Amino acid sequence: MRLTPLLLLAVFAAGAVPAPAQDAPQHIVVVQQIARAARTAAYQGRDRGPEQTDRFSRKLKLGRDGRVSVSNISGEIVVTGGSGDEISIDAVKRTRGDQSQLANVRISVDDRAGRVDVRTDYDMSRSTRNNNVSVDYTVTVPAGASVELKSVSGSIKVTGVRGAVRAESVSGDVTTTDTPKVELAKSVSGDVTLSGIQIEGDLSASSVSGAVRAKGVKAHSLDLGSVSGDLTVSDVTCDRLNAKSVSGAFEYSGNIARGGVYDVNLHSGTARFVLANPTGFELTANTFSGNIRSDLPLTIGGDQDRARDNRTHRGPGNRAIRATFGDGSATLTVHTFSGDIVIAKR
Amino acid sequence: MHPNDETLNAYADGSLPANEAAEIERHVASCVSCRQLVDDLREILRATADLDLQDPPARAWMRIERAIQLEQEGARAEGARAFQASERDIASGHGHGPAKAGHDGMWLPWLAAAAALVLATFVGLRYAPGRSQLAAPASQARDGAAQASAGDAAQSVENELRQAEAHYENAIKGLEQIANAEQNALDPRTAATLQKNLAVIDQAINESRAAIRSQPASEPAQQSLIENFKTKIALLQDTVALINEMRKGNEAGAARIVSGLKQKGN
Repeated sequence: MRLTPLLLLAVFAAGAVPAPAQDAPQHIVVVQQIARAARTAAYQGRDRGPEQTDRFSRKLKLGRDGRVSVSNISGEIVVTGGSGDEISIDAVKRTRGDQSQLANVRISVDDRAGRVDVRTDYDMSRSTRNNNVSVDYTVTVPAGASVELKSVSGSIKVTGVRGAVRAESVSGDVTTTDTPKVELAKSVSGDVTLSGIQIEGDLSASSVSGAVRAKGVKAHSLDLGSVSGDLTVSDVTCDRLNAKSVSGAFEYSGNIARGGVYDVNLHSGTARFVLANPTGFELTANTFSGNIRSDLPLTIGGDQDRARDNRTHRGPGNRAIRATFGDGSATLTVHTFSGDIVIAKR
Repeated sequence: MHPNDETLNAYADGSLPANEAAEIERHVASCVSCRQLVDDLREILRATADLDLQDPPARAWMRIERAIQLEQEGARAEGARAFQASERDIASGHGHGPAKAGHDGMWLPWLAAAAALVLATFVGLRYAPGRSQLAAPASQARDGAAQASAGDAAQSVENELRQAEAHYENAIKGLEQIANAEQNALDPRTAATLQKNLAVIDQAINESRAAIRSQPASEPAQQSLIENFKTKIALLQDTVALINEMRKGNEAGAARIVSGLKQKGN
C-alpha cells in the first residue's frame, strides 16, 4: 500500500490541529450543526401526491462467474442468485412528487466483459430539492457471480449468491440468506443479518447502532463490530475471531477450533461463549467490575505476577483469571470493563 | 511487487539486514512511490529525533502496541485503499461519472487529512518503542544492569498511558473538526445515529477515566480506555469516509435526497 503523502502529512498533522476553544465534546457541536442544517432544508409540505413510478428492465450476458456492482442512493436492493449466465436488472423509480422528477434519475448500466456496474444517477444540474425519487432494484445474477452492493438509504437483501458478496448500507438493513461467501456486510444504523456462511477466507460484519446476527457460519476468520448493537453468532465455527463493541453484548454459540484464536473486547456488554464440546482452550479474561464465570471446569493458572497482583488488588479493577480447559489448544482472550464474562456449555 | 510497510520501515531506519537492504535499495531506486515513502519515513525519523526520549518499561509498550495493532492494520489498509482510489481519480482526471470532476479536489484533502491524523497516532506510538529500544543499551551501559523500581515502572506505565491518551485525543479532535466542516453531507437521521453512538463512546471513556482515577494500576481500566479511544477514532473515520462518499460525484446530493425522502415518509 502507498502511504507516502499521508505519512508526510502525518508528521505535521498532529501539531497542526488546533485545540478546541472549550472542553465540551466536539461531536456535540458537530451534530448540533448538522441538525441545524437539516432544519434549514426541512420538509416544505409538498410532494404528498400519489406515487408515480417508472420501470426499467434490462438483461445482459454476464458469465457464470462475472462481477456485478449496484450502487443506489435511496431504495431497496434485492439480489438473487439464479441459473444461466445472464444478469436481469429490474428497477422501479418512485416519487410522490411530480412525475417529471422521474426523468431526472437515470439507471446507469455499464456493461463490460464479465462485469456489469449498475448505479443510480441523479441529475445534479437540476434542482435536487425537488428531486425526491427513490429506486428499488431487483436483480437476478448467475449464482456464481460476485456481487458488490452499496446503498445510502435502503435495505440490501441477497439470496442464493455463491460468489463473493460485499454489501454496505448507511441506514438500511443488510440481510443475506444462503449466500456462503459474504466477505463484508456493513451498516451504520441498520441491522446486519447473515445466514448460511461458508467461506474459506474472512468475514467482516459490523453496524454502528444495529444488531449483527449471523447463523450457520463457517469461516476462517470472523471480524464483528458495533458501538451499541449486540453481536450474536450461532452455529459458528471459525479459527479466528475478533469482536468489539462498546455497549452491545456479544454471544458466540458453536465450536472453537483447535489452535483457534478468539479475542473479544467489550465495555459494558456481557461476553458469552456457549461452546459445544470444546477440545480445550486457554482463557485469559479480565474485567474491571464485571463478573467472570464458567460452566466448564477450568484449571486456574497463569503467571505468578498476575496471581500476585490479584492478591494485592482484590475487588473492582482487577478481576482477572487465566485458566485452562481441556488441552488448552485454543486461545480465548476476553476483556470487558463492566460486562460479565460467561463461558457456558451447550 | 512492492515491499511491505514493515520492510520499508526497517529499511528506512537502517535496521534491515544488509542483504535485504540491498534488495530493497534496488527496488527503491526504480520505484518512485516506494522511494517517496522511504523519504517520508526518514523525514519522520528526523522530525521525531529531537523529541524528548523516555525509556518506558517494555511491558508498557507491549500492551499499548498490542492494543493498537489490530486497529492499525485495519485503518492503514482502509486509508490506503481510499487514498489509492483518490489517486487514481486524480490521475485520470475524472471520477466515477461526469458530475464527479468538480468534487474531487474538495473531498480528497479531508480524507487524506483524516487518514493522516490517525496515522499520526500510530506513527507516534510505533516509532517510540523502536527509539526506546535503541536507547536502552545506552542506558544500560550507563547504569549497568540496574532494574527500575516497581514504583518507577508503574509511573512509567501511567506516563505512557497519558501519552497514548494525548495522541488519541489529538487525532479525535482533528477528525471531529473535519466532520464538523463537512457536516451538510450527512442526512439528519444518520447524523443523529452517529451522535448517539459517539455519546455512548464518550460515556465509556468517562467511565474508564473514572476507574483509572480510582485505581491507576488497573489493567482492565487502562485497556478499556485505549479501546474506547480506538473505537471513537474508528467511528469518526467512518463518518469522514461517509462524508467523502457523499461528496463524490453523483452522490453529492445524496444526503439531501435521502433526507427529503425520509421526511416525506417514503
